[in-house]
Amino acid sequence: MLPAISDIERLLAALPDVAVAEELLGVVARVSLADAVPALVAIKAAGYESLVDFDGIDTGELIELTYRLRSYALDTELYVKTSVAYGGTIESVWYEYPSALMPERETAELLGLHLAGHPNPKRLLTTDGVPPLLRKDVLIRSVEEVKAR
Amino acid sequence: MTDTCEETLGVGLLCEGQHDPGTPPAGLRRAPSGVDGLTTEHLIINMGPQHPSTHGVLRMLIEVDGEEIVAAEVSVGYLHRGIEKLAEHRRYDAIGTLMDRGDYVSGMMGEHAFAMAAEKLMEVEVPRKAHWLRSLASELNRLASHLVWYGTFGLDTGGMGQFLYAMRDREALLDILEALSGQRMMFNYIRPGGVVADLPLGLEEKIRTFLSTFDMYLEEHDQLLGGNEIFQSRVKGIGVIDRGIAQCFGLTGANLRAAGVDFDVRKARPYAAYQELDFEVPLGTKGDAWDRYMVRMEEMRQSARMIAQLIDGMPEGPHTAKVPRVIRPNAGEVYASVESSRGETGIHLVSDGTEHPYRMHYRGPSLYAAQALEEILPGHLIADVVMIIGSTDIMLGELDR
Amino acid sequence: MAIEKLTGENSMIFIRSEQLFDFARRNSLWYIAFGIACCAIEGLMSASGPRFDFDRMGVFFRNSPRQADVMIVAGTVNKKMAETVKRLYDQMPEPKWVVAMGACANTGGPFREYPNVVLGVDKIIPVDVYIPGCPPRPESVQYAFIELQKKIAKRTEERLAARNK
Repeated sequence: MLPAISDIERLLAALPDVAVAEELLGVVARVSLADAVPALVAIKAAGYESLVDFDGIDTGELIELTYRLRSYALDTELYVKTSVAYGGTIESVWYEYPSALMPERETAELLGLHLAGHPNPKRLLTTDGVPPLLRKDVLIRSVEEVKAR
Repeated sequence: MTDTCEETLGVGLLCEGQHDPGTPPAGLRRAPSGVDGLTTEHLIINMGPQHPSTHGVLRMLIEVDGEEIVAAEVSVGYLHRGIEKLAEHRRYDAIGTLMDRGDYVSGMMGEHAFAMAAEKLMEVEVPRKAHWLRSLASELNRLASHLVWYGTFGLDTGGMGQFLYAMRDREALLDILEALSGQRMMFNYIRPGGVVADLPLGLEEKIRTFLSTFDMYLEEHDQLLGGNEIFQSRVKGIGVIDRGIAQCFGLTGANLRAAGVDFDVRKARPYAAYQELDFEVPLGTKGDAWDRYMVRMEEMRQSARMIAQLIDGMPEGPHTAKVPRVIRPNAGEVYASVESSRGETGIHLVSDGTEHPYRMHYRGPSLYAAQALEEILPGHLIADVVMIIGSTDIMLGELDR
Repeated sequence: MAIEKLTGENSMIFIRSEQLFDFARRNSLWYIAFGIACCAIEGLMSASGPRFDFDRMGVFFRNSPRQADVMIVAGTVNKKMAETVKRLYDQMPEPKWVVAMGACANTGGPFREYPNVVLGVDKIIPVDVYIPGCPPRPESVQYAFIELQKKIAKRTEERLAARNK
């Protein structure tokens, strides 16, 4: 279910540059990268105890991060979006949401980001030397490459 | 030793109520080591990726003090094969094949999640019959998936008989699913717009025959494993995932409901035909391995109930909406989630209006269950590890994607 | 070599030791319980289940590579896994055989385009029998084992023929 936009706006009123809107995705709060952790702390204090999903999208200019949060008591879901430059650093939210531990590692690895404040910032899925595979500039194998296996 | 443990394994997790830096993190709970002046040395044990009880290729590093686990690290990625990346290069009607191979024991749910996400972007009206057929396929698949879990969970405790009985029933289910979709495991049955084919002639009767004995068999299964005192004493009280841990680690599905949180996507965010069906969501109280066992067994009973209702009330009409051959949905961003056998399977789909998705993120519930293992394993004995992994029912295909 | 000749009273059989060993080997092909992905459900679990029951062919699973004769590579091998597959293969005692099960183990299958996936397990270890399918049905795996038995029998014959030349 969707939370009321005014509630979320009130929750994040202390932060500059916050835009809350209802989109096809759901209720989305867009914050700047520096405000992402304070915003998530405030949202957690408001009862959104579960980070259900976390992923990144390579938009071609930036990497857009999406946090999907859920409150079981309020029965609502909320999306928080922020953007980070290529090769940038994201602040870990594992202290507030331990469920971010592995998704953060995965996103950082597959999109070529760095993690700050993470207890175990190792690679998760691939071995050393593998390029950030989910970036749009990393191409998949061509038909010729596969045929000449 | 505390410091080395944190350095080597990088584990020092904490959960709700432990934000005070003075208290030790939950990952490092331990009995005081050294009795009568004797000191014990910690040992790091590698488990997996080739291990019969890791349900695939999970690898764990377990630091033990004698028999007791002091820290655990889950290492994944041995089945990372790029479902998310390849989806960016497949057409919408072909992504179902990738989703099948994500959670390969319950492929219908992955397809269903993707189809729902694509339909939100396509703005297509799915016919009522397609909804019912989707629910029917999902519930049949849930039974097959839970039977695999039941059989292998028993194997972890050292039993063999229950595996053979579970496989017998699963083969009957796979016959039904094969008649429905044409494949035993990789169905590609639920596609954007509807389902690929109507119920074949005579399948209703076949499902009814299956259901007529299944309830009896299920009681037999429950007595065989759950009624076994050795099994009970091995699973009761271990691997407690309480409400707080379950919520802050993002667990979903039976693992969450065993902790007493009443959240089932089928009830809370009804999709397909679930709004019209009469079923209950079983809940646990403590959140230990026994509760998870009981919740899943009860889920199987509810699934069997639902299948009977779905067969009886199957509506007439077309089984798929009119969908163009090459699907080019509107540009946009959606999220769709379904209740799969393991929890909430979610698809975050971004489209730019072309025939390929711009980005597809696949939320596998097993990833969250696997990282919770790091939190709950410390304090247990080595012999409990396989039981706890088995009780969380993780599937590495959707974990690594 | 009919079995009644072996079991009758005062029975006696003359056989080359190599033939005897290979007779034993091809009728007790123990595979290592190492399921990587989807194919493991069909080729390892359904296979040991009651309907297909590979046990009757002497095909049974062992949990340790040191006790196994056959490795069924059931699933996609990626670059992280390749090292483990090679190591497990090296740990198996000679003689050993490899069955590449399914499209992924043969060529990379539906995931062949992903740069992290190895294009077929034969890039890492030698393969004796390839099974097509995604995933192959348990019957196909059964057929693969029959082919493997034939291959083992043929190998002895060839060796004996070469020696008698």
